[in-house]
Amino acid sequence: MEIKKTAVAGTLESSDCMVTVEPAAKGLELELESAVIRQYGRQIRKVAMETLKRLGVKKARVSIVDKGALDCTIKARVECAVMRAAEHEGRVNWGGMIR
Amino acid sequence: MGIGIYSTPLSVRQQEDYLKLLEACGLRDEGDADIVALMTEDDRLIACGALAGHTVKQLAVDSEAEGQGAMAAVLSALIAEAYARGVHRLFLCTKPENLSIFRSMGFHTVIETGDAVLLENRKDGLSGFLASIPKYEGVCGAVVCNCDPFTLGHRHLIEYAAAHCDELYVFAVSEKGSMFSPEERLDMIRKGTADLANCHVFESDLYLISRATFPAYFIRDESRADLVKSDLDIELFCKRIAPALNISRRFAGEEPFSPVTRAYNERMKELLPENGISFEEIPRLSEISAGKVRDHIASGEYGKIREMVPESTYEVIQSRTQ
Repeated sequence: MEIKKTAVAGTLESSDCMVTVEPAAKGLELELESAVIRQYGRQIRKVAMETLKRLGVKKARVSIVDKGALDCTIKARVECAVMRAAEHEGRVNWGGMIR
Repeated sequence: MGIGIYSTPLSVRQQEDYLKLLEACGLRDEGDADIVALMTEDDRLIACGALAGHTVKQLAVDSEAEGQGAMAAVLSALIAEAYARGVHRLFLCTKPENLSIFRSMGFHTVIETGDAVLLENRKDGLSGFLASIPKYEGVCGAVVCNCDPFTLGHRHLIEYAAAHCDELYVFAVSEKGSMFSPEERLDMIRKGTADLANCHVFESDLYLISRATFPAYFIRDESRADLVKSDLDIELFCKRIAPALNISRRFAGEEPFSPVTRAYNERMKELLPENGISFEEIPRLSEISAGKVRDHIASGEYGKIREMVPESTYEVIQSRTQ
């Protein structure tokens, strides 16, 4: 999936996370800010990277500001931000790439 | 509980509640908001925030509603709205004691003075800007100007400055001017200084005299010039920009008209030398000002414009009116 513009999804409220996806010249860059980065930083990155790969995102700059989100929330927010950034809203293949 | 996003002006009732909440939190409405976010509970305003250009401001939470995440909710709503409007780079100014809250919300320090911190939502915002500008050897100077439009007065200042350093950075204010677009102004300055080999013209981006670093400059409430806060802008120049670009001199035109700009110059006279940067205020060419040129454009007095601007600017003005 090609990232065409900058988009954001999620909030900064407790138990949520805010994900920003931006176009990039090459590769996947992931920046993470979290109060629990020492405990769950690796897990958050893993969920985010897996989600990006499943969506076929090859080039993007992704920033996650985590407020204690569960894995399912992180996954959903990344998916939503990517769909918006790829201008893919409204034609989401539920059960396909989003599963 | 719900959050509404409203464009200004607010309704009378909303405005009254909004001002009351700001006052209770020690803030005042600076009147430059594009949109305002209001969070209410049972019809009572419990939190607010505003977006002015690239700046998030007027964030306030009712003391009774503190600790329930109202601030995070309002900030989230403002960020979502900013992105929807195509504004991706956001700034925020707060007191140093609130720094950790906003850092945990994805903001990064641009500059800190004794009583205020300017933050932005990108880690590499300022460093990216600085990396995009070439570095020069020798004695480097800087002029920051709006040039709306570029006049013979600006030319006089830049010519003087260029003669008093090896390399001169001219930063054109990137915010929307009252008449000419940032692109037009950049173009006018480049053309009007093309013969000065050591003069290099760049956009100031959002880091020099911007609505983020120096909101008072754009609010232009002359009656409050005594309250003008320009320290963030000047400190940012002194501590982050000048060292990165090897700038040791700054030049500005004397300001007989605008109390805001005059207050800014006065503050530079104090702060720049403390940071090892010399500051020189150049006497103005009499009777020339960009404001007067704008007045003459509005009234169509082209003969008078000719006397105040270089040929390259005159062409731009003419092309606009055709």
